[in-house]
Amino acid sequence: MSISMALFSPPTHLQTLSPSSFPKPHLTHKPYLFLRPKNPLFHVRATEDNGAGALTSAATTVEPIAEPKVPAPSEPELEKNETSAASNGSLGTTTEVKVVVSKFENPKWVNGTWDLKQFQKDSKTDWDAVIDAEARRRKWLEDNPETSSNDEPVVFDTSIIPWWAWIKRYHLPEAELLNGRAAMIGFFMAYFVDSLTGVGLVDQMGNFFCKTLLFIAVVGVLLIRKNEDIETLKKLVEETTFYDKQWQATWQDETPGSSEN
Amino acid sequence: MAALALFSLPLPTKTIVASYSPNPPLHGRKLRAAVIGGGPAGSSAAEALASGGVETFLFERSPSHAKPCGGAIPLCMLDEFQIPHHLIDRHVIRMKIFSPSNLAVDFGKTLRPNEFIAMLRREVLDSFLRSRAQSYGADVVSGLVTDLKVPTSPGAPYVVHYVSNNSRRELAVDVVVGADGANSRVAKSIGAGSYNCAIAFQERIRLPDEKMEYYENLAEMYLGNDVSPDFYAWVFPKCDHVAVGTGTVRSKREIKEYQRGIRERVKSKIDGGKVIKVEAHPIPEHPRPLRVRGRVALVGDAAGYVTKCSGEGIYFAAKSGRMCGEAIVRASDGGDRMIGERDLRREYLKEWDAMYVNMFRFLDLLQNVFYGSNSAREALVELCGDEYVQRMTFESYLYKKLADGNRWEDAKMLVNSIGSLMRCKIIGERMEVLNL
Repeated sequence: MSISMALFSPPTHLQTLSPSSFPKPHLTHKPYLFLRPKNPLFHVRATEDNGAGALTSAATTVEPIAEPKVPAPSEPELEKNETSAASNGSLGTTTEVKVVVSKFENPKWVNGTWDLKQFQKDSKTDWDAVIDAEARRRKWLEDNPETSSNDEPVVFDTSIIPWWAWIKRYHLPEAELLNGRAAMIGFFMAYFVDSLTGVGLVDQMGNFFCKTLLFIAVVGVLLIRKNEDIETLKKLVEETTFYDKQWQATWQDETPGSSEN
Repeated sequence: MAALALFSLPLPTKTIVASYSPNPPLHGRKLRAAVIGGGPAGSSAAEALASGGVETFLFERSPSHAKPCGGAIPLCMLDEFQIPHHLIDRHVIRMKIFSPSNLAVDFGKTLRPNEFIAMLRREVLDSFLRSRAQSYGADVVSGLVTDLKVPTSPGAPYVVHYVSNNSRRELAVDVVVGADGANSRVAKSIGAGSYNCAIAFQERIRLPDEKMEYYENLAEMYLGNDVSPDFYAWVFPKCDHVAVGTGTVRSKREIKEYQRGIRERVKSKIDGGKVIKVEAHPIPEHPRPLRVRGRVALVGDAAGYVTKCSGEGIYFAAKSGRMCGEAIVRASDGGDRMIGERDLRREYLKEWDAMYVNMFRFLDLLQNVFYGSNSAREALVELCGDEYVQRMTFESYLYKKLADGNRWEDAKMLVNSIGSLMRCKIIGERMEVLNL
């Protein structure tokens, strides 16, 4: 009960002390009601998912209790908290705030970073698991943004993961795919050109036009991997030149010898 | 008049004016200029005009209004505009940037002892600049400009219609400088076109003393889709309170949600605070399609000189005002000759674009690359941990020159940027796949 009070008093007593914003409390309550329902759903799914970061059990029990209590006690509690805030106006009220429900908790997340010792597999760090864990954490935070705190600053940085772990997992499979495509296209193009012109592979390589076609084929395979990429590339080119066009707009309508004054 | 054709080239190169006939001299009077808007842009323009010998009228509708603004100005502005140090409320020497996953990076390790970001109150700065313009001979008119009548015949004056002391008045002038901000009346009158605006929303919160101590010389920047989809949210310390706010271009209707988001993110640090003011203001995103027409030039926010990525506008407003004023003084030979549109384009627009368009373009590139998605923002914060990046950023910001660095370090920075972006994008893609 005091926890639910704590959850809802801080933002509202920030606003109600200034007389002009008196109607505000209602506004701030409603969105909290909207935000709340997401969490219980999330808790249900989280417990099913074995590998996911577990949330504090305290959180799960507080949630359902807090919900129905929201509209009723918060208004009178507001008054109480405000006066106490006004009277001591100091750290006294902040002790209630410490119980923040949406906080990322995971046994492997220690002191604002992933404890690599807990990711050992065959006495070597399992970097894939670290990448997955971080992705999960960020996904969780996207849905439940967490207050930034000075006591437990986040220090995990993706550069902690060594470069070869990234390459092994993400670059190599894609590279294999693209090289395969390039090889297939190359083989059939060489065969096709040979059958049409009689020019063999070695002679094709010496020809400037063929070299250009080869270049286009390689660039094409690199840049256009899905059908949507063509549109994406066009939009990208447009976007990069858009701002420049806006700056040059003022020079566009100038005509030679245009009269002014 | 082949020489005139040369001036239509949009290239910032000097053209030879040998065959160009000078402007007709004014007989018996000085050039009259009206500067609409008495903020940093207008005051600087008025000061440059008045000290150059032009008869200047500076219109300001509410001299004591506190403009909603971040209030941060770079060091070079203090020097170039001789701003006295007693006007500065706070010297910010530390900055913290928070990524969407709350990875925090401390900016400011590379600042030299005499370097800082000055935080001022806009009403204090604006009234100082205005009274200085007045001391140079500008006539400050307290009134609201309602219309600007564009002349139909060459050589006829521009007529400024305004309301002052509950009476409608008119003033005929030769040149108009539009410095009236994002909703510029002058821009509307000359048909300068419109621009996209971001909305900046902030709440001023008075904190209890111990919490205020934390923000003594620290400003914070927050990134994330919960606080802004295409900009950043901030906590800036002001004279005796902090300003907590956010901004957005594309989701203006949800600005209150984003404000709540930033309040959540900063909850423990602003707890116990009291909201003393809520304000919002549009910020232009890019220059107007037309910045000079006839003998009217736009400067500052009216022209759209706000950088992307950081949303900084005060310095550029003041600088553009001054450059425009100086351009008019030069073109009119100290107020003795009439000027024309080509003079404004040549002396003001071309110079301005040559000096700053690259900086604006670069910041636009940064915004496009790093503000687009949560994973890009994570990469940005990671990069900001690097000392070289911090030094370059601060030097460019404080001195308004794209800082000149070591080529080898630049290459390393580029490689690191690509690396960070790729890593964070991979994690972002992994996040999509994971079905939590």
